[in-house]
Amino acid sequence: MPNLQSPHWPLLIDIYFFLVGLAGGAFMAAGVADIFGSRKDRVVTKVGTYLALLAMLPGPLFLIIDLGMPSRFLHMLMVPKAATTIGMSAINIGPFHIKPYSPMNMGAWALLGFGVCAFIVALTLYLEDKGGTINLAPVRGAFGAIGVALAFFVAAYPGQLLSATAQPFWRNARPLGALFLAIGASTGMATIALILSLRGPEVSGSLAKVRRAYTIAVVLQALALIAVFMAVARGPFWSASRAGLLTSGSYSLAFWVGAVGIGLLAPLILEVRDGFFQGYRQGRGMVAVASLLILVGGFLTKYVMFAVGQG
Amino acid sequence: MARTLAMFTDTSVCIGCRACEVACKQWNQLPAETPVWTGGYQAQSHFTDKTWRHVKFIEKKDERNEPKWLLMSDVCKHCNNAGCLEACPTGAIYRTPFGTVDISQDICNGCRYCVSACPFGVVAFNHGTGRVNKCSFCVDRTSEGMQTACAKTCPTKSIEFGYRDELAAKAKKRLAALRAQGVKEANLYGEDENGPLGGLNAFFLLMDKPEVYGLPVEPRLPQKPIFKDAGLSAGTAILVGLGAIVAFRQRGGGDNGGEE
Ligand code: SF4
Ligand code: SF4
Repeated sequence: MPNLQSPHWPLLIDIYFFLVGLAGGAFMAAGVADIFGSRKDRVVTKVGTYLALLAMLPGPLFLIIDLGMPSRFLHMLMVPKAATTIGMSAINIGPFHIKPYSPMNMGAWALLGFGVCAFIVALTLYLEDKGGTINLAPVRGAFGAIGVALAFFVAAYPGQLLSATAQPFWRNARPLGALFLAIGASTGMATIALILSLRGPEVSGSLAKVRRAYTIAVVLQALALIAVFMAVARGPFWSASRAGLLTSGSYSLAFWVGAVGIGLLAPLILEVRDGFFQGYRQGRGMVAVASLLILVGGFLTKYVMFAVGQG
Repeated sequence: MARTLAMFTDTSVCIGCRACEVACKQWNQLPAETPVWTGGYQAQSHFTDKTWRHVKFIEKKDERNEPKWLLMSDVCKHCNNAGCLEACPTGAIYRTPFGTVDISQDICNGCRYCVSACPFGVVAFNHGTGRVNKCSFCVDRTSEGMQTACAKTCPTKSIEFGYRDELAAKAKKRLAALRAQGVKEANLYGEDENGPLGGLNAFFLLMDKPEVYGLPVEPRLPQKPIFKDAGLSAGTAILVGLGAIVAFRQRGGGDNGGEE
């Protein structure tokens, strides 16, 4: 195996990846509920938007703390008097730079845009609730649509950031972005469901919709996980041997019990039995259990993918 | 852009004296490091933030089953398509007018993304300054018309400094000479500008297969498949979104909020 160096990113970055994905997933559900849902589904839009805003807020802070030079966090987006030969696809606009080949740079831009959209959408919801008669739906629609696109971006980019490195496992796990996106969607919507399960029966219709949506996301998460393994198996042996740490090595417990059992199988069994065959009749306690399983499993999936690649 | 500069490291004449390491440390004011036990004479297991030239001592058995050394003074490859440079989100890593790759300490914010993106594990994090370091190709010498400190010092001319095209021709001649003497294992690493990473501006003549030296056989630009990956992510996004739309869309007209 070639000599490589690890970036030694701490657990904080893991947590950021998890939260930003969750925020993206929640905002996506909020946007869909706003446009395609019924009037009663406004509760999903509200919970989803506020949740997204709340979950993404600590993100920049975590990222800045981890920097070797925290005071230079703005350099991610802008540098006064920068060099122009900073990459083959780099675009310099005044002091700003956009680097499509650097997911970390693109992610910083997307996070900024996502934060602005989520804030504006949250503001429209708040003002409508306060103001009574004003209708800010067009504003919300516009920023919601851009925001949903950015929500997908912020959920997926950490995965792509990892596969765009030279680290043996990550670089061969090309569908890592797709996996992270699916986890963001499932965990974001599971958190919405968890919050709704604490409310009364008046939200049960919307809750059933959220559950149907996150069940689909969990299925996609399972498919993406399989795709990751298929991609890694095709890579050179040292990348496959890293994958062995997941299936039978030091991370196998977290992988099989956490990522597969808790994250995929258990919630799917609960949801399919209750939802698809019985028309969502189970009590709210079961919803809370399924949501928590998805959250724990989603975090552990991202955790093991991160840890095994960083070595 | 000025004519591309390069370094050619001919490992067949390296005697393992480590003068290059010392010259590098002197010019760049890098402190000495406590050697680590690597099982042989090699002082460090790999590059660090304070060791930018690094002499590898690889022990092997020759045809007669006698032990022999493979020596190689390793350095940042100054790739024509550089993973570290593409990865850097701040633009601290830039290409110099000489075609080499340098890190601006005024800009780097210590995110360490470049550390993970170099296919050769060259860039290293400096916990003292909170920034990353690697060989600068003596940018402060070369821009004044001087050669790199390591090349200047090397007593056997194992390290040579010059224009890339001239050095590449020289390397090919040296390879042909060695082959004529019956050294079949000799090979050039990174000299070909049509090869991996668009060629390396610090290239090598190796006396064994690249993997014996801990070098990747087919180094890849890590960012290359990024847009294809993005396609996969976008496809998943569409499916997730469609799933949510199907789940939320109005059923049977009336505003009954689905199944109640
Ligand atoms: S060898 Fe590594 S550090 Fe040097 S230019 Fe290439 S990618 Fe960058
Ligand atoms: S650590 Fe510094 S040089 Fe490396 S990618 Fe981050 S900002 Fe760029």
